[in-house]
Amino acid sequence: MKINLSLIFCLLLLSQQASASTLSVFACEPEWAALATEIGGNTVDVTSATTSMQDPHQIQARPSLIAKMRQADFLICSGAELEVGWLPVLLQKSSNPKTQPGNNGYFMASDFVDMLDKPAKADRSEGDVHMAGNPHVHTSPANMLRVATVLTERLSALSPENKTLYENNHQHLVQSFADAMVKWQPAIQKLKNKKIVVYHHYWVYLEKWLQLQQVATLEPKPGLPPTSNHLSQLVNQMTNDKADLIVYATYNDSKPAEWLAAKTGIPMAAVPATVEDWKADNALLHWYETVINTLAKAIV
Amino acid sequence: MNFSGLDISILGPAFAAGILVLLTHVLLGREVIQRGIIFIDLAIAQFAGLGIIFADTLGIEAHGWAIQLIAFASALIGAVLLGLSEKWLGKYQEALIGITFSLAATGSILLLANNPHGGEHLKDLLVGQILWVEWSQLLMPLLASVVIVALWLLKRELFKSKFFYVMFAIAITLSVQLIGVYLVFASLIIPALVTAQYTDVKAVSIAVGIGVAGYLSGLILSAVLDLPSGAMIVWCLAVCGLVFTLTINHLHKINE
Repeated sequence: MKINLSLIFCLLLLSQQASASTLSVFACEPEWAALATEIGGNTVDVTSATTSMQDPHQIQARPSLIAKMRQADFLICSGAELEVGWLPVLLQKSSNPKTQPGNNGYFMASDFVDMLDKPAKADRSEGDVHMAGNPHVHTSPANMLRVATVLTERLSALSPENKTLYENNHQHLVQSFADAMVKWQPAIQKLKNKKIVVYHHYWVYLEKWLQLQQVATLEPKPGLPPTSNHLSQLVNQMTNDKADLIVYATYNDSKPAEWLAAKTGIPMAAVPATVEDWKADNALLHWYETVINTLAKAIV
Repeated sequence: MNFSGLDISILGPAFAAGILVLLTHVLLGREVIQRGIIFIDLAIAQFAGLGIIFADTLGIEAHGWAIQLIAFASALIGAVLLGLSEKWLGKYQEALIGITFSLAATGSILLLANNPHGGEHLKDLLVGQILWVEWSQLLMPLLASVVIVALWLLKRELFKSKFFYVMFAIAITLSVQLIGVYLVFASLIIPALVTAQYTDVKAVSIAVGIGVAGYLSGLILSAVLDLPSGAMIVWCLAVCGLVFTLTINHLHKINE
């Protein structure tokens, strides 16, 4: 009996230590799950609320989402109103003090990058416009590295005993991005100043990085599905000034892009909107590479 | 498999919302089936949605009491129109309900053509998410359920009169925002349909029992299998109804 009790006591101690050194991370999107995994390594236990095939604007409520938010030590999302349809109510339902706005466990990536597309005035007739700017900040590696730096500091503050590990992982990430940039140069050069038509106003940070010119969107206004009138206007626009590529995310409907491609002869490319398998090694790097290579290959 | 979602504080409010909705919808559902106006709840829910979008286009803010009153009012207008049509159209009433549904639904699309934010209100109204329900949201539905159940017990003849459409509009506007139109439709029709052969209190208690089994199994399965709760409950309600019907038929055969 005495042995049993001390055994139980030991196990309790062990389990407490394990839970103290592992941070439970709730990521809204797979790109932030990937980043948290890169920096946190095996000291973080990460879950992602959405996959690359889901539109992060809206998700269906599942009991596990509330359960995971309750256990979370750290919340990482895009922010800038991208998750406004479900994150506030999820935070309220979880009533977890650690991840509430203003606390150390609440981390919105868009707070730490220079936002593009900030509207001058709130005008709802302009479609699904985000007042804080375009929330799809992860589409540029420069933004990703900026967020990685702040994330490293934040995780180190939450778990000081792992500070060195986080800084080493961060260093490794920065270095691997620098190496990749050299490797990607031919594709980057090929894409420079190319004119693209996109489905949703999604890729602005990528466009700035690759110096792509977005000449049109398939959606008449952000969030509204393509209309026949708008599509025929696009055909006219393309006859006068032909774009080099039509780009849509794999979670978008492919039909409008196929229609425009068939009418105009412009090549098209379907690219994953974010990291597909965030648990894999170098998931972020792999995703940027897929995007660049797919775009470069599609251009004739 | 995932057991972390099996938490009474997560599933409790959703289950309570389901029970409140069931209590009234089983009573209303029997009447809906007897009158042969199966799709009336879809039409009335769309009417409530159309009212909200119309208010939004006029610039009325989308939160609080004003918008609730507008939703009630437009659902009531729809209900009164459909109630009057019962007298004028007789057996063609179901056709009119279908037309009303498509007019209200496409009317919202036309009003929303240039306003994607209005779409969010419509979606909130039609596809309410049962899991996000908070205890405080259950007060109004509780009051409505108490009143409707009391009327059924004390003044049953109201369910046979035109007043039925008023009760129906109130119950549907509340329940649709709470749990969404699919779940409302399933709660209204499935338990009432499989108990249609029974009468009065016996029918209602069996129907509520089937409904409770459906909500309970649906919520538990959605937690364990990590699937959206509303859709899972609809399927579990259907399965519970089917299992009940098959069991009863089987027992009848044995008795013969």
